[in-house]
Amino acid sequence: MRRDKRVWLVRVLAGGVLGVLAGALFFFYTEGSQEMSPAVYGLCAALGGAAGIATLPFADDGRSLLLHSGIHFAVTSFLFLLLAAQLWSWEDWKVLLVLEGMLALLYALVWLGRWIGWYMEVVQLRTLLGLDAGPSPLKWRETLPYLPFVLLLCDCLPLLLYWMDDRVNQGSFIYIPVLSGMLLPFMLLPVGGFFAGLSLGKRQGVCPLYPAACLVCYLPMLYVTSSARLFHCFMAAVPALTGNVLGWMYRRAVPKRRTSR
Amino acid sequence: MEVEIRLEPHRQEPKVVILAGEESEELLRLAESLRSLAMGPIPVNRGEEKLLLPQGEFLRFYTDGKGVSAQTAQEVYGVHLRLYELEERLDQTGFVRISNSEIINLDRVTAVDLSLSGTICMTLDGAVKSYVSRRYVKKIKETLNLGRRSQNEKR
Repeated sequence: MRRDKRVWLVRVLAGGVLGVLAGALFFFYTEGSQEMSPAVYGLCAALGGAAGIATLPFADDGRSLLLHSGIHFAVTSFLFLLLAAQLWSWEDWKVLLVLEGMLALLYALVWLGRWIGWYMEVVQLRTLLGLDAGPSPLKWRETLPYLPFVLLLCDCLPLLLYWMDDRVNQGSFIYIPVLSGMLLPFMLLPVGGFFAGLSLGKRQGVCPLYPAACLVCYLPMLYVTSSARLFHCFMAAVPALTGNVLGWMYRRAVPKRRTSR
Repeated sequence: MEVEIRLEPHRQEPKVVILAGEESEELLRLAESLRSLAMGPIPVNRGEEKLLLPQGEFLRFYTDGKGVSAQTAQEVYGVHLRLYELEERLDQTGFVRISNSEIINLDRVTAVDLSLSGTICMTLDGAVKSYVSRRYVKKIKETLNLGRRSQNEKR
């Protein structure tokens, strides 16, 4: 226990010093000769200290891991927000929101990397125990057969419908994208995403990369077609996730029904 | 009786050779008790009844606040030994500690799963769930590697 506390202290102090140095360098680079205020120094040190102990919650398991990681994220994002407000201002709330979003994304990526590391350990244990190695990390290999459908639904179909709208509206005064602006986002994307997700969920269980692929694959349409909107991505991704989870629930429920007979 | 110990640095498991003029009951008892030192049965309690069960029958040993319990495929028994004492008595290649409160039989593991929160769950005999503390993962891998090596040597 004492050793643990010493490790925490050393990491906080080292992180604090590095935080001040990094802050000074950043400030010098962005603000030129202006001096950092004591508040910014303090926040850089605190943020550096928090970054120093960022990996320690990962030594825990289950609930305590989630709790410690959650507390660490809350503290880090609060310090980061204060520091960002010092460098910009509270009035630039949109910038602050984007920065907080980037921090959350960084956290999510670190978590994902850590989880994949644990998963590889589990695969190793399974192999050593002579068991089946199990599904691939985040079931990427299992999701792969559905990728052509996602490309078809989120890229080929919008392009086709946009082209058809263009043809229909040629020569008319008002451009109404009935197919690509109404039928696609409110009917085809949700229904297609949902049923393919349902099928995948029934076969392979929860595959988080499937809804993510729906979202990412639709993004280029925002630049290619004029009728595409950002919310269309979610009109594909959210039903895809819902269908996938429902399929997984069905998969879990069916064997139970069989055994209870 | 003369007792001689010869050290062989590369030997992994001790080997005992008994030299005698003729076979006797004492000799057989001695051989049996030596053999049981490493893989001896574990004394357990079922109510007032005291039993000796072979190690292979156990799925796991765990503490639940009241004391140490031993679980087989059929039932749960009480054990008077502590977990660290059990660790010394159990087959080092078959049993491993997976958390502060649990030792499991690796031969009875039928599934290993990882939850979203990073908890590793081992299923024993398809029904009993045991949760692995991440601090013990390295030791489990070492034990499994050791078991594999000794199996290969036997082949």
